[in-house]
Amino acid sequence: MLTIVRIHNELLGTYGDRGNADVLAFRAHLNGIAAEVIDISYLETLPKSADIYLMGGAEDAAQALSLSALQNGGALASAISQGATLLAICAGFQIIGESFTDGLGQEIRGLGLLNVRTTPGEQRFVGDIKVKASFLDCEFTGFENHGGRTILGEGVQPFGNVLVGHGNGAESVDGAISENVFGTYLHGPVLARNPEFADFLLAKTTGQSTINYVDDLAVEYARWRRSVTK
Amino acid sequence: MPNRGLKRAVLIALLSAWASKTFAKKSGETISGRVLLFLRPSAISELSQGRRVLLVSGTNGKTSTTRFLVRIIEQLGAVTTSPSGSNLSWGVAGSLLKRANYAVLEVDELHLANVIKQTQPEVVLLLNLTRDQLHRMHEVKRVADRWREIAEQSPDTTFVIDIDDPFVNYATQKAAKVLRVSFGGRSHPDGAVCPNCGGYMKWSSGSYECSCGLSNKSYDKLLVATSAPERNSILANIAGSVIGAPWLEVSPSELERTISIESGGVTASIRLTKNPASWTEALTGINSNQVILILNAREVDGIDTSWLYDVDFQILQGRKVVVTGERALDIQYRLHVQGIESIAAESFATAISQFSSGEHVQVLSAYTAFFELSR
Repeated sequence: MLTIVRIHNELLGTYGDRGNADVLAFRAHLNGIAAEVIDISYLETLPKSADIYLMGGAEDAAQALSLSALQNGGALASAISQGATLLAICAGFQIIGESFTDGLGQEIRGLGLLNVRTTPGEQRFVGDIKVKASFLDCEFTGFENHGGRTILGEGVQPFGNVLVGHGNGAESVDGAISENVFGTYLHGPVLARNPEFADFLLAKTTGQSTINYVDDLAVEYARWRRSVTK
Repeated sequence: MPNRGLKRAVLIALLSAWASKTFAKKSGETISGRVLLFLRPSAISELSQGRRVLLVSGTNGKTSTTRFLVRIIEQLGAVTTSPSGSNLSWGVAGSLLKRANYAVLEVDELHLANVIKQTQPEVVLLLNLTRDQLHRMHEVKRVADRWREIAEQSPDTTFVIDIDDPFVNYATQKAAKVLRVSFGGRSHPDGAVCPNCGGYMKWSSGSYECSCGLSNKSYDKLLVATSAPERNSILANIAGSVIGAPWLEVSPSELERTISIESGGVTASIRLTKNPASWTEALTGINSNQVILILNAREVDGIDTSWLYDVDFQILQGRKVVVTGERALDIQYRLHVQGIESIAAESFATAISQFSSGEHVQVLSAYTAFFELSR
C-alpha cells in the first residue's frame, strides 16, 4: 500500500494544493497500485513511515505555524533519509529550504531539506508559468502567486527552466530538487496539470519503472494547458 | 449642488451615459462613473454629503443583499444604488449621480476602505470574507487588514457583521460601533489560523475561540439561519434597522442570483457561482439529475482555477453532467479525479442540447458566463 501524506492541508492548502494528493492516488489506482491519502493536521504527529509527503502554499502566519510543528521530532527528515519522496510547493518549498523571510521581515530558519534560501522580492509574481523540467523531457505548466526570491545553493539543481512566468525570480529557473526532494512554485495543482510528473513520482517511489497507464482525458488536459500557456 | 465644478462634471457624466446608451447601445452605467471621477476626483465624497449612506461588502452575496437592502431602505424614502455588480469606485460614483436621500451601495472588498473614507457611511454591512480571486486579492488576511484599518478610523459608522466569520470579526475588532450577529457558527475554509494573533484557531462545531480572545461567542444577537441567502436577508434587515427601517420579510430564494431560461423545451435555472465557498454552497442545492457547469477564468472570475480542488463535487456523482465555458477542461479533469465523468460541450447552446425536451437542468455558472446568459 502506497501511503501519501498530505501535510497540514488546513495551513498549506491555499491554492487547491490538496488536489495533488488526490491526483497521485487516482493515477496510482489507474496503474494498479493500491494507494491511500492520509491527512495530517497541525495538531497531529507526522508519521515517519509514509511513502510520499506533500506540502502546499500558505499565507505567512500559516507558513510559520506549519514550520514550527514540523521542526518538532524531525519526522520528515527521517522519512526522506529512508527514501520517501517529498513534493513541496510555494510556501511549502520555502519551509523546506535553509531559510526564508516571514511577514514581519524576520529571517526564519527552515527545515534544511533543500539547500535554498528565500528572501522577499519587491514585486509579487502572479500568473501562468511554464517550465522545462530538469529531470524529465517534459514541459510543466502551473500558476504562480508568490513574492519570494529563491536562490539555489550547492548540491541542488533547478526543478526546471522557466519558459513563461517567473519561478524563483533569479537565473530564469524555478524550484529546486535534490534526490527525492522536489520544490517548486507551480501550483494549479501541478500534478493535475502534469500527469507525467505524477507518474514520475509514483515510479520513483514504488521503484516500478512501468508506469504507463494512458488516461486520454489527462493527456488532453495537459496538452491543452501547455498550448495555452504562452 | 454645492459648486459649479461639480455641477459641470455631473452634467458631462450624465451626457456621456446618455451618449453611450443612445449610440453604443451600452448600459451607460460604468462610463458615467468613470467620466465623473476623471473630471472630479472628489465627486464621491461631495455627492455623498447630505445623504444617508449604507455600504455592503464581502466575498459572496454582495449584489443580492444590496438589492434587498435597497427594498428595506425604500420604506424610508428614495434610494439610489449601484448598477448590478458594478462595485468598484466608478460604479459607486455613477450611482451617486441620482438624487435620493439614501444611498445603498455594493462595494468591492479592495475598494471598501476608500469608499468608506469618501462616503462616511452610517452603516457598513460586512457579510463574509473567504478566498476569492487570489490573483488580485493575494491573501484573505491582506483584505481583512485593510478593512480593520479603516474600521478603526470610522468612529461614526456602525458595522453590522456576521461574527461567525473570523476574518470579518477580526476586521471590526477595533471599530467603535459594531453589531455582531451570530447564527450559531459555521466552518470557514480559511479559518485554521487566527487572523488576529497567527495562532492555531480552536474550532468546535462551527464555533471558534482563540486564546487571544477572538471568538464568535461575543455576539450581540444570536439568530437562526440555515443558508447563506437566509443569513444575508437577516443581516440586511439588521443593517436597515440601524437607521430605523422596518423589518421586511423575504423568501431566501429571492436572494439567490438565479435566472431561468428555456431552450428547445429544456428549462434551465442558472445560478451564479464564483469561488470555492460559493460553489460549495451552490452544490448543496443540486437536486436535479441534469446539471451543466460553466467555467471561465477571466479577470472577475479569478484567472487561477486551482480552487476547483478545494470544492467537493461528490453530490454530482451519478447525475448527468455537462461542462462548458473557456475552462471546461479544468473542471472536467477535476471531476474525473473524483470519479465523476462529464460531457464537454463547445457552448452553452450545445450543452443544453444534450438534454431532452421537458427536462429541467440546473446550471452553475461562472460570473462572466452568467452575465452573458442574463442578457
